[in-house]
Amino acid sequence: MAEIALVEAVNLALAHALEHDPAVVLLGEDIGANGGVFRATLGLQARFGAERVLDTPLAEGGIAGAAIGMAAMGLHPVAEIQFTGFIYPIIDQVLNHAARLRHRTRGRLTCPLVIRSPCGAGIHAPEHHSESPEALFAHIPGLRVVMPSSPARAYGLLLAAIRDPDPVIFLEPTRLYRLFKQRVEDTGEALPLDTCFTLREGADVTLVSWGAMLQEVLMTADRLAEEGISAEVIDVATLKPLDIETILASVAKTGRCVIVHEAPRTCGLGAEIAAAIAERGLYSLLAPIERVTGYDVVVPLFRLETQYMPSVARIFRAVKKTLEAST
Amino acid sequence: MTTVASFRIEHTRYLDADGVPTQPLPDFANDPDALAAFYRAMVLTRAFDSKAVALQRTGKLGTFASSVGQEAVGVGLALAMRPEDALFPSYRDHAAQLLRGVTMTESLLYWGGDERGSCFAAAPHDFPNCVPIGTQLCHAAGAAYAFRLRREARVAVAIVGDGGTSKGDFYEAMNMAGVWQAPLVIIVNDNQWAISVPRERQSAAQTLAQKAIAAGIEGRQIDGNDVIAVHDAARTALAKARSGGGPTLIEALTYRLGDHTTADDATRYRDPELVAKMWQAEPIARLRKYLLSLGAWDKAREEQLMQDCQRSVEAAVQAYLAVEPPDVSAMFDHLYAALPHSLGEQLAMARQFAGGQENGHG
Amino acid sequence: MNIFKLPDLGEGLQEAEIVEWHVKSGDEVEVDQPLVSVETAKAIVDIPSPQAGRIAKLYGGKGDIVHLGAALVGFEGEGGQADTGTVVGRMETSERVVHEAAPLAPSTPLPGGGLSVGTTAVKATPAVRALARKLDIDLTMVMPTGPDGVVTSSDVERTAKLLTELGPPEALRGVRRAMAQNMAQAQSEVAAATVIDDADIDAWEAGADVTIRLIRALVAGCRAQPGLNAWFDGRSARRRVLAKIDVGIAVDLPDGLFVPVLRDVAHRDAADLRAGLDRMRADVRARKIPPEEMRGNSITLSNFGMIAGKYAAPVVVPPTVAILGAGRVHDAVVAHEGKPVVHAILPLSLTFDHRVVTGGEAARFLGAVIQDLESAV
Repeated sequence: MAEIALVEAVNLALAHALEHDPAVVLLGEDIGANGGVFRATLGLQARFGAERVLDTPLAEGGIAGAAIGMAAMGLHPVAEIQFTGFIYPIIDQVLNHAARLRHRTRGRLTCPLVIRSPCGAGIHAPEHHSESPEALFAHIPGLRVVMPSSPARAYGLLLAAIRDPDPVIFLEPTRLYRLFKQRVEDTGEALPLDTCFTLREGADVTLVSWGAMLQEVLMTADRLAEEGISAEVIDVATLKPLDIETILASVAKTGRCVIVHEAPRTCGLGAEIAAAIAERGLYSLLAPIERVTGYDVVVPLFRLETQYMPSVARIFRAVKKTLEAST
Repeated sequence: MTTVASFRIEHTRYLDADGVPTQPLPDFANDPDALAAFYRAMVLTRAFDSKAVALQRTGKLGTFASSVGQEAVGVGLALAMRPEDALFPSYRDHAAQLLRGVTMTESLLYWGGDERGSCFAAAPHDFPNCVPIGTQLCHAAGAAYAFRLRREARVAVAIVGDGGTSKGDFYEAMNMAGVWQAPLVIIVNDNQWAISVPRERQSAAQTLAQKAIAAGIEGRQIDGNDVIAVHDAARTALAKARSGGGPTLIEALTYRLGDHTTADDATRYRDPELVAKMWQAEPIARLRKYLLSLGAWDKAREEQLMQDCQRSVEAAVQAYLAVEPPDVSAMFDHLYAALPHSLGEQLAMARQFAGGQENGHG
Repeated sequence: MNIFKLPDLGEGLQEAEIVEWHVKSGDEVEVDQPLVSVETAKAIVDIPSPQAGRIAKLYGGKGDIVHLGAALVGFEGEGGQADTGTVVGRMETSERVVHEAAPLAPSTPLPGGGLSVGTTAVKATPAVRALARKLDIDLTMVMPTGPDGVVTSSDVERTAKLLTELGPPEALRGVRRAMAQNMAQAQSEVAAATVIDDADIDAWEAGADVTIRLIRALVAGCRAQPGLNAWFDGRSARRRVLAKIDVGIAVDLPDGLFVPVLRDVAHRDAADLRAGLDRMRADVRARKIPPEEMRGNSITLSNFGMIAGKYAAPVVVPPTVAILGAGRVHDAVVAHEGKPVVHAILPLSLTFDHRVVTGGEAARFLGAVIQDLESAV
């Protein structure tokens, strides 16, 4: 069992699902013969056939709508949207139908589908290829939104998403696709949805993040440790429904919270987490909550990309601020 | 320069506006009892439809979209479908739904603002009414693909209006189904109006049927007020799809004799005299005239049918009115397979404030 | 044009044949006037007019079939059937006009966007506030060291440690507590002003009773300016000038300030006053004085000069409006008939409530006091 990168973990999970669940069908643009533009579906069409690993015409809305029809008829479709820059046409089908089908038919029809898409900045891509749309989807009732931050979690969470009887938007941080490797066993074991993962325990400050930003957060935690500051690091993983209990328990312990996300600040999920802490954890706080986020600007083209994304320096400064306000 | 592709669109009709055959009828239409079944179904649809409108006018039903004048499209189509097929309607397709096993009470519950109306007891595969225009076509294409993948002899049938053929989803669905050769049949209920926008301002295409050409699938046009033509075209398309022959687009020409919905007043944008003229081509009178000409129908049977319809409709209305409004927790039921823990608090709050007229509507 | 459509005929009937029109284009009709007779499957019925108005157009002729909801008659006039203004649902409509006060202008954003809390409020997180409560620390006493003037938990702990080293504070009780409350209230209500002068008491005989002379002088002042012997209710702006002069005498004891009241001083002789004063002092010292003898003075005398000090601006406690402060009798060089001489001087300070006493009244009062004091007997 080798150490594999995140995109390979996605491939492993998809292969496992296709192997063990005959209802699983993959559909998307260039996922078959080409194995996906990021090779997430590499080799799967050859193994499972062109009917189960389906190259579709170029039609994001149609892909999502067709996946809904498939899911309602008993298949377990996993649709790929090639880039989150192209994901917006599916909001109609996802919001108006996928997220509602069970509710509006009182459970008669259901929608067990997964829509996967690479997201986030940091790969020097052309315009529109650096989106972080998780807050848009998290705002939709009836939907699940998941973002892994490591190969192991990508494998376990994707399997969980495929097996979940309700629709899941699975956003894969492109920057992490091949950034590092990790040992992943192909056991078919899913990780739990709707729960945070505490990656590191600490006593002085709680760092909350998801996706690729966890890299910068963990680096910051290392730097803080050198100064004797112990940071607790939480990977939210399932952005909706949010496991606020884990975050609250951590803030009760540390009294300080810094939320880090790549997506723009206003109405990002950091605001939801901060509001929930303000509602239920205010009396634990020794300092105001800090959010380190992308600026409220259009993601710049790649020459300014690294200036846009939250850096270790910015996160470090935010943590220091919470300590200055409270020691 | 060589012509590499060209197209022809055929229009089919069997009975003219006066119920007189224009050509030899297909076999099934030579059985007066079969035709009487079509007739009864159309009459019941219209009786239900006008009762629904009356209920809305007296505050007992929400906004309702009447199907008056278009009964032949749904009836001819639904009677060609099998129970294992799946219907993907728009929101004006009670004619088809009632024949698919959706009860009048269920339909009233939906329009009366209750999700239980879409929990069809007897039409388990059919999708509920679809409000975002044309989105149902992609669902149907996906369902058709599922049938093909599993080698099931089932067909996905979608109904869309003339306005809906302008939507991207319409093209995307046809295109995907064409590439997949999926068992999909699309009926365009071309009733000439998309709220206030008339057909000539909806598309420059001479027919809507020819949009099929763009997807590489068969397209044909029929007189949608001739239930024999509808049923014939539907049967052919369904058989073709079921046997692996791929999708068909059928454009059924008809006319929206009523308003867009009960909140619309069509006299604002169309001439009542034109509407009155179009009444002369309507589907129920047309078939009645033909049946009368055969001696297969008479005043006594008409009266009996009216009474039967009245009774059925009234019973359905009473059943609908007797349904208690759902408990407030119904908002949270079926949101997910299991309600996430994080929503427990919200459910508790909804229960706490339940019952009182908190929103000020007395 | 206002189009009237064929209404519900009941019993599931959906169409009717026009039998006969009773009106024509151009006719004026009234509400309920029969417009047309139509024949349904069941019967011939008359359709009444839904409104008054002039007929603009008839839809259909004799023998034509009209369907439920189809146009029947057009009336002249605006509007058509009440435009619901929507194509779905039911929109609440009314003719109510709302007048809004002009909204507040947007507040100017604070530069730097720092914690925008009122300048007098203490900036501290709830956790720090809870800590302060637990340690019984008044946050206003804590020196903040956090950024932007924020009180941190270590600031609270530091203050707690400091105060522990200083020992526990003493809670004010009894008379001292009452004084704290009364003086605070007086300070917040009274518009105090003070006028100062000296009385030349060189003419006095040896062994004169200073306090009694001061009381007599007060009486003289009150006779000259009765307005300073009064009660004033600031809230209702009502004054009660009092005929009887009841003087509150400030008595200083280790337990605190006591102000027993010598009643009706204007009608008592010196011996009676002296006896009364001595008895009062003894009772106060023995803490035997009943509470009613500490209330209801109409003016106050503070003879602090018995201890030390010349001039003061003593506090006027409502409802009284004046207090006379007498300083230490001392020898001073004064001008007398153009030549410097050494005389015994009694310094005087009169503080009055300027809400109800004018400067002129106060000055005249003081003048009368001084005149009385400067006479030999």
